[in-house]
Amino acid sequence: MDREFIARGVKRCSTPKFLLWTLPWIGLLAFGLYAAALCLIKGLNQTNMDNRFAFGLWIFLDLTVIALGAGAFFTGFLLYILKLDELRAVINSAVVIGLVCYSGAMGVLAVDVGQPLRFWFTFWYPNVHSMLTEVTFCITCYLTVLVVEYLPIVLRNRKLRQVPQFLVFEFELHKLIFVLAGVGTFLSFFHQGSLGGLYGVLRGRPFAFREGLAVWPTTFFLFILSAAAVGPSFILLTTWLAEKISRKRLVKPRVLELLGRISGLLLAVYVIAKSVDTLVWINRTSPETGFQAWQYYSWQPFGTWILLAEIVLFGLAPALILLTARLRARRGWLVSAAAMACLGVALNRFVMTVQTLAVPTLSFDRFLSYTPSWQESGTFLAVVAYGVLVYSFSFRYLQLFPEERELRFEAEQTEELPVMAGEIDPAGRY
Amino acid sequence: MLPWNYGFHWTPATMIFMGAFYTVLVVLATTVMYAMLRSRRVLAADETEDVKWHSDFHDLPSHDRACRHVLMGELSHRECPNAFDCRKCEQHARIVERHPVRQPNETEEEILGMSFPLDRYYHRGHAWAHPEADGTMTVGLDELGSRLLGVPDAMELPPPGTRLQVNGTAFRMRTHGADVRVLSPVDGEVVETGGAGRAWYLKVKPLAGGFDVRHLLRGAEVHAWLMREMERLQLTLSAEGAMSPTLADGGVPVADIGAGYPEADWDAVCGEMFLEP
Amino acid sequence: MISEKNPVKAARYGMTIDLDRCNGCGACMVACAVENNVPPAHAGANDRKGLTWIRVYKVDNGAEYPDRRSVFVPVLCQQCNKDTPCVHVCPQQAVDLDPATGIVGQMPERCLGCRYCMAACPYHARYFNWWDPAWPAGMEKTLNPDVAPRMRGVVEKCNFCHGRWHAARERAAAAGKPNTEPVTYTPACAEACPTGALQFGDLNDPASLPAQAAKNPDAFRMLEKLGTEPKIYYRSKRDWVREIASAPKPGAGSRVASAPTPKEQAHG
Repeated sequence: MDREFIARGVKRCSTPKFLLWTLPWIGLLAFGLYAAALCLIKGLNQTNMDNRFAFGLWIFLDLTVIALGAGAFFTGFLLYILKLDELRAVINSAVVIGLVCYSGAMGVLAVDVGQPLRFWFTFWYPNVHSMLTEVTFCITCYLTVLVVEYLPIVLRNRKLRQVPQFLVFEFELHKLIFVLAGVGTFLSFFHQGSLGGLYGVLRGRPFAFREGLAVWPTTFFLFILSAAAVGPSFILLTTWLAEKISRKRLVKPRVLELLGRISGLLLAVYVIAKSVDTLVWINRTSPETGFQAWQYYSWQPFGTWILLAEIVLFGLAPALILLTARLRARRGWLVSAAAMACLGVALNRFVMTVQTLAVPTLSFDRFLSYTPSWQESGTFLAVVAYGVLVYSFSFRYLQLFPEERELRFEAEQTEELPVMAGEIDPAGRY
Repeated sequence: MLPWNYGFHWTPATMIFMGAFYTVLVVLATTVMYAMLRSRRVLAADETEDVKWHSDFHDLPSHDRACRHVLMGELSHRECPNAFDCRKCEQHARIVERHPVRQPNETEEEILGMSFPLDRYYHRGHAWAHPEADGTMTVGLDELGSRLLGVPDAMELPPPGTRLQVNGTAFRMRTHGADVRVLSPVDGEVVETGGAGRAWYLKVKPLAGGFDVRHLLRGAEVHAWLMREMERLQLTLSAEGAMSPTLADGGVPVADIGAGYPEADWDAVCGEMFLEP
Repeated sequence: MISEKNPVKAARYGMTIDLDRCNGCGACMVACAVENNVPPAHAGANDRKGLTWIRVYKVDNGAEYPDRRSVFVPVLCQQCNKDTPCVHVCPQQAVDLDPATGIVGQMPERCLGCRYCMAACPYHARYFNWWDPAWPAGMEKTLNPDVAPRMRGVVEKCNFCHGRWHAARERAAAAGKPNTEPVTYTPACAEACPTGALQFGDLNDPASLPAQAAKNPDAFRMLEKLGTEPKIYYRSKRDWVREIASAPKPGAGSRVASAPTPKEQAHG
């Protein structure tokens, strides 16, 4: 039915089957949009956030998806600036993932703030000392960059390509892709960092507060490192998932291994940096504010286990696995390590958002807990559904994996021995 | 945001911050506008076919982009860096100097039951060009191409006066659900259309001076190339769903290959063989 | 905001709160709400979703009967004078530290409702409008015409009854006094306090009560080590009370502020 829109040389499932696949996600999206609409119409009292838990599920998940979406800028940087050509196999997929992550995060933010229509105030009266201003500017610009990077992928669709204006514009824009990659890297460096800086500058929350290097707290650099480390891992995970769900080989195994290796390397650097930073914080930064570090972990359920889980179990362990070539070659280990790395970053964002607010600051405060309401969870599930739908449509109609065609032929070649005329035995045997 | 807003402070921090922001915006806008302007220029200069071919070539899998000299065994492994335009290639010029193409003795090459007259030049997209006595070239579809397309449902030939470009679109054919364009082997202007009933599809006169045919296959290259094409056809057929034994008996491809494999995705097979990904 | 071109003798308004006098009556909380048009709590509000620009906490010394002692601690915006956390973090400059008065002012009209300032404030002195403000029928007659009510989705906090400061300046101008001199006024909470535990004044004026109290050895400020230089000086002769100003120590007795609601007890 929609064969004309699907590229030649690749197989996609039948149209009814595809519609069947999208149905539950559309349902989830509808439910999530309803939850978000409730929050917008009735107010943020629909959530379980309160004056003490000013940030909740949404901010935590926003930060996580932005960190996971870092694969888009980092793969672009590695491919177009450092010329690691193997990554051409996943760059389109990475751009779609990035677009989905950032646009989803922006959507959730629009619901999270009390007065979404005032978003432009940050641009009109920017406070250049605030990390959140920095985040707003950079993420808005970067989303624009991602849209401009997604455009050529869309224009390369088989049917759209037949329009000469689209064909030529895509061709010319692609020549300048390195400019976009460079701008994307510059912006991502700053906004990933500023998201870390959000917490590091909180003088009033010694749990989160860190000393600075130049004008930025150490969390600025730690967040950049962890985002760059987990970006390739998330690309790895999503590619593997796409292969599993579509039951096709989409990339050569060495591409996934390369992604794993890059991730492992950066993760190892991050673990070292984070450990040093944690030690400085425990021994100097926190005590200087009058807060002893050990006390943060005496309020259950946030014991020291959470710190160890973040740095060792979901930091050091996947880093070591990803750095070991023998384990990288095994798909099970590779994917598990990538998943653990992603979980580690999610845990880090969780700790910085939720634990910071749960831990008391005044001596007559209590340790607080918070469970998200169904409206909050629903809104976030809408983002997940949106992501799956955009990715599914992109996978079906656009060329996300240029190596797919080649791999199909390689599979044919190994399955059947091609017989060439002239090599036939006169008796008719092969 | 803007210097005349109330509350705008002229501090170094503000200027660095806003400066960076405006620079990024300007760079982004310039990039997009530059791409648009160049696109306008390309469209105006009628270079669309050239861009289309480069775009298509970029999407071909790497095994389809092998240099002609790999076919001949002169090089072990090379991907064409010029989108099959050997006229521009220094490597080609050097190799041809050292190893000129051997012309077989026969006037006609019979390969797998298909005839490939050797007085023609062959394009990798299965078009041929034959120099005529009056200085024009006739352009047709080679035997393998014809058998792939069988009896076409529809043919779109360019009217006389149309400019053709090397590796641009010569004409379009529709058959068995496939819709392919055949690449033009030469630069020139169409003077006459042929089609069914005539042995050629187009008669082309050169634009200036004569025809440059360095990029076309000839002589002993044709056999090596055909062998490779049969291998590719084999792979494509099985990849695109052909279920019956695919040329496994070493047999000759029939006059309408597509009719023999009704379950195959003939559009994809033709797309592969005619280099239109 | 005072323009830089018009030099004024800056005031630094502050407060002293005598914890030995506060009896937890809550008159300050009521007076504040009345003065500043704080809407009554919505039916669905709990302890953590209300609007209480000044809030009185009950803190115990953690000992068992008969040694158990309590103190009532009114907490309001501490008007941090240095590295004010909320000013630093607001993305659209909706909060500023006025150099002429020392008041940390909040502009609800510019507030986006991102709640970053609430995360930044260690004193939990900032409150978010989780609901649209609504007054029961007839109660709108009690609204103060000098103070703008806030809309849903913005942050608000104590601003030392800025409206009263404006009124005091107008009275001074009408009386012919030069506008470069700081004015004297009293915010609603200090005015309502029956025991005189809350005293408001200009810390730059050595004769004012807060300035004198600040020099008292019994005076302390909350979380001084954070370096925010708050302008609220608490006083108590009791050592254990002075201890509450420092960082929390888990297990150091049940210094729990106000009884938890059953809902909160369930969450722990």
